[in-house]
Amino acid sequence: MGGAAPVETGKKGKKSLDSELNLVPFIDLLSCLIAFLLITAVWTQISALRVAQTGGLDSTPPEPPKDNTIDVRVTLTDRGYTLSLAGALVELPKVSKAAGMGYDTKGLVEKLKLVKTQYPDQRAVTVAAEDAVVYENLVDTIDQVVAADLPDISVTAAVN
Amino acid sequence: MPIVTPGKRPGIRLSKSKVFGKKIKGGKKSVYANMQLTPMIDMFTILVIYLLQNFSADGDILFMSKDIQLPNITAKMRLERAPVVAVSTDAISLDGSRVLDVSDATRDDTWNVPALEEALREKRRNIEQSNMLLRGAGGEGFRGIINVQADHLVQFKVVKKVMFACNQAGFSNINLAGMQVSAAGEVKTASLP
Repeated sequence: MGGAAPVETGKKGKKSLDSELNLVPFIDLLSCLIAFLLITAVWTQISALRVAQTGGLDSTPPEPPKDNTIDVRVTLTDRGYTLSLAGALVELPKVSKAAGMGYDTKGLVEKLKLVKTQYPDQRAVTVAAEDAVVYENLVDTIDQVVAADLPDISVTAAVN
Repeated sequence: MPIVTPGKRPGIRLSKSKVFGKKIKGGKKSVYANMQLTPMIDMFTILVIYLLQNFSADGDILFMSKDIQLPNITAKMRLERAPVVAVSTDAISLDGSRVLDVSDATRDDTWNVPALEEALREKRRNIEQSNMLLRGAGGEGFRGIINVQADHLVQFKVVKKVMFACNQAGFSNINLAGMQVSAAGEVKTASLP
């Protein structure tokens, strides 16, 4: 039993068989370990979304889509999403949410999942945004696109 | 007065007595109380296991500032150790040192931000030099990774300029940092795996 003192037998002349375990170094070690781990603990989990940028001053034109893939482009405007699937445009206007009008991310994911079903090799999506779009909405859109199993994201500015 | 063990203290004559001496000496209760250390060690062990599970050898890659509130993301890609461009609503900084104000960056409609671009090129030179020194010891080449830590309310106009400057300086693998949340929208902390 840890930390227990030898039990007295009450009989004289006999040595007790129970030996006392010295727990002080063990407690010291645990205390140091706890202090170190508490100091170095990372309490918030931070994730990342890997993107590439296309467009700009001297940018090279985007590569043509490979076989069994199409050109998918999601544009964020002040009205909502504009989804371009191989040139065909689909408008996804903003919807009412708890915090006011917001982007229809559910609708976007549904459309992108349909694309993924029809074109299983599809990985690339271009996300374009207007200058006034808030970063939070951009990141949320990229997050949803990645969640729809389309991980190769290119970010560019929307042509006004 | 000397410090003595608590208990009965008969006089010297009585303790030497053949009749009473044995009675006084024998049958004494121990005056030392055992301290129960087992629950404390149990608690320490559980605490150590819990903290070891949450231990990250990478440490904090981003310096969390009160000016920058990261957006929430559900993706689980981990941040890599790389230079950090922090974009708050007021200023743009590189690895903690302020490079320029956001108002200066958004003054014109051009994409390039020369001050940030120059700072990033300098950073790239430093990385390449240290990589050259480490190459003999198994170091890897320049991978062009950069972490962008932007406030959730920053406009895309600023972000696109920052990304463009990164691209121009050779940092083409851009990681947008965010607070990891579960699908239900709860922020993940050490206590919410």
